[in-house]
Amino acid sequence: MKTRKSAAHSRSTAKQCRFSGSAVRQPKASVGIPRSLLYYHYFPLWKSFFEELGLEVVLSSPTNKKILENGVKKAVDDICLPVKLCFGHVMELADKVDYLFVPRLVSVEEDAFTCPKLIGLPDMLRASLDKIPPLLDTCFDLKAGISPYRSFRELGRKLNRSSRTIRRAFEKAEQRQDEFRKAMQKGLTPSEAMEALKTKNETRLTSAASERKTKNEELRIALIGRPYNLYDGYLNMNLMEKLRQLGSSVITAEMLPSSIMEKEASRWRTEIFWTFGRRMVGAAFHFFNGGEVDGVISCIAFECGPDSLLGVLIEDEAERHKDIPYMSLILDEHSDETGVVTRVEAFLDMIRRKKR
Amino acid sequence: MKGYLGIDVGSVTTKMVVINEENEVIADNYLRTGGNPVKVVQDGLKDIEGRLDQAMPMEAVGTTGSGRYLAATLVGADIIKNEITAHAVAASYFIPQVQTVFEIGGQDSKIIIIRDQVVVDFAMNTVCAAGTGSFLDHQAARLNLPIEEFGEYALRAHNPARIAGRCTVFAETDMVHKQQTGHNREDIIAGLCQALVRNYLNNVAKGKELLPPFVFQGGVAANRGIKAAFESELEQEVTVPPHYVLMGAIGVAILAREETALRGEKTRFKSFEVAEADYRTSSFQCSDCPNSCEVVQLSLNDEPLSRWGSRCRKWEV
Repeated sequence: MKTRKSAAHSRSTAKQCRFSGSAVRQPKASVGIPRSLLYYHYFPLWKSFFEELGLEVVLSSPTNKKILENGVKKAVDDICLPVKLCFGHVMELADKVDYLFVPRLVSVEEDAFTCPKLIGLPDMLRASLDKIPPLLDTCFDLKAGISPYRSFRELGRKLNRSSRTIRRAFEKAEQRQDEFRKAMQKGLTPSEAMEALKTKNETRLTSAASERKTKNEELRIALIGRPYNLYDGYLNMNLMEKLRQLGSSVITAEMLPSSIMEKEASRWRTEIFWTFGRRMVGAAFHFFNGGEVDGVISCIAFECGPDSLLGVLIEDEAERHKDIPYMSLILDEHSDETGVVTRVEAFLDMIRRKKR
Repeated sequence: MKGYLGIDVGSVTTKMVVINEENEVIADNYLRTGGNPVKVVQDGLKDIEGRLDQAMPMEAVGTTGSGRYLAATLVGADIIKNEITAHAVAASYFIPQVQTVFEIGGQDSKIIIIRDQVVVDFAMNTVCAAGTGSFLDHQAARLNLPIEEFGEYALRAHNPARIAGRCTVFAETDMVHKQQTGHNREDIIAGLCQALVRNYLNNVAKGKELLPPFVFQGGVAANRGIKAAFESELEQEVTVPPHYVLMGAIGVAILAREETALRGEKTRFKSFEVAEADYRTSSFQCSDCPNSCEVVQLSLNDEPLSRWGSRCRKWEV
């Protein structure tokens, strides 16, 4: 455990540090971010915000067996696997950082919610885990009229930063997030895009992406699912890698402009009021309607409530486009790849034999 | 005469078949995997060699089933194919007009939709093995019946009991309850067959376009009670092909023959002597990272031949 912990934990000491003007440089306070759930969607924004405020950002390891086992042990039994994994990631960070950032993401769009489990996440963590550092669980609720800036300002104030610093950090962070989104739209996965931003070597990576695309031009498969289901290779048995190895390029919602998903999802007769659900359905509608793909695979976590409904919408759309093969994979705690490999191989075989 | 060997290493049973150029079955066997795929493949090879009248050169070898990669390393395979493709190939060879294949094996169940001899859609059971062969095995043992007679009992029923089929844990609870309130075994077993078929059609086959001809294959197709339940639920005839249990092995043998012909290469088959070789498997837990992968090693005469199971693939030979 780090010695500076006690200093950062106490608000008054933190204040003292700031106003003492002491010549001794205080070590930076650290904030842990679990590499799970909306990390895949927002990490550059969060990281950049905290770093601009002068904090050290500590990220948990990529999901591994220990994280999975810890998560399954500590989280409530009937929650979805991605949330269980988040518990494991939090536990890995718990004694390494001064704060944990687990925002309460109620609504990130004016007309939509995230998911009930994301909304209750900080409470679940507090209820089930004893020894965790203070949670920065700032509420983000656009639907209630709270602007992202207001939420970030509250977060910054909790850390005793000035309005000016917070404003500047927020602007920087938004800019970073924008760069991240644009990089993904060039065909990069979130981790590839983060890598590109870090090394400022986007050209090399995007050209690698397009090279991969030409090399694998034989087949093009669309993956539909929440970012944490698609991009956590441990959770989905390296699905994306597997598809690429088997000679297919992969396209996801993150690689499309958001406007496409909005437009496509609005064709559904009622409004879909879950942000990620709307993206999934919008992407599926797009891929089935002239999205130029050879097949569509959806990836759903076994106990996901919203996806059990949305999966049906996607299936219905697949029904109407029988020329584009569709398969749904249900993810759970299995640790053996056989099931996923068999299904993916058979799916690609089917497409290839059909094309002959 | 040339032979083509197909090996289907399933979770519960292992099937081998030798076909000739006309896709006729020359020899076959059906063994319990017994948790030891290496031994069963060796035993199976020895057995099948003994069933061949004359020394017959194997021109191509294919493997399928969940143990297909292991089996391929052991015997030297020309093609490694997933079960779905293998089953579809065999089904459309024997019943060329087939449009729907139900396949229920030891641990998984699949539906394959075929149009004009091409797979257009398929599904496998999701996270749960409810209603597959191993559950029926377990119930037969509990009721003190040989699994072979299970189907006959179902056909003798007059008033099949209503059993919950959604989950086998519930199904078992329901069966015990029915048994304790005095329902006879025939009615309980028939009820179970109906429940499994109902669950299969609602789950695995959900949303699929079910068109005849229907073909039912895999080990569970031996159970006439399940076939009857399918027929009454669908109100259609369901065909169980003569080699229902060998379909995966036959399919992959056909694919192996096509593959070697296409490549114009000689087979990679090592020879039947593989059966006598000193193959061993061992496993260890890698502790180089928190994944703690369980790595399995296959060795021949104490020389590592192949390793698998590590996520990072660093242990692969």
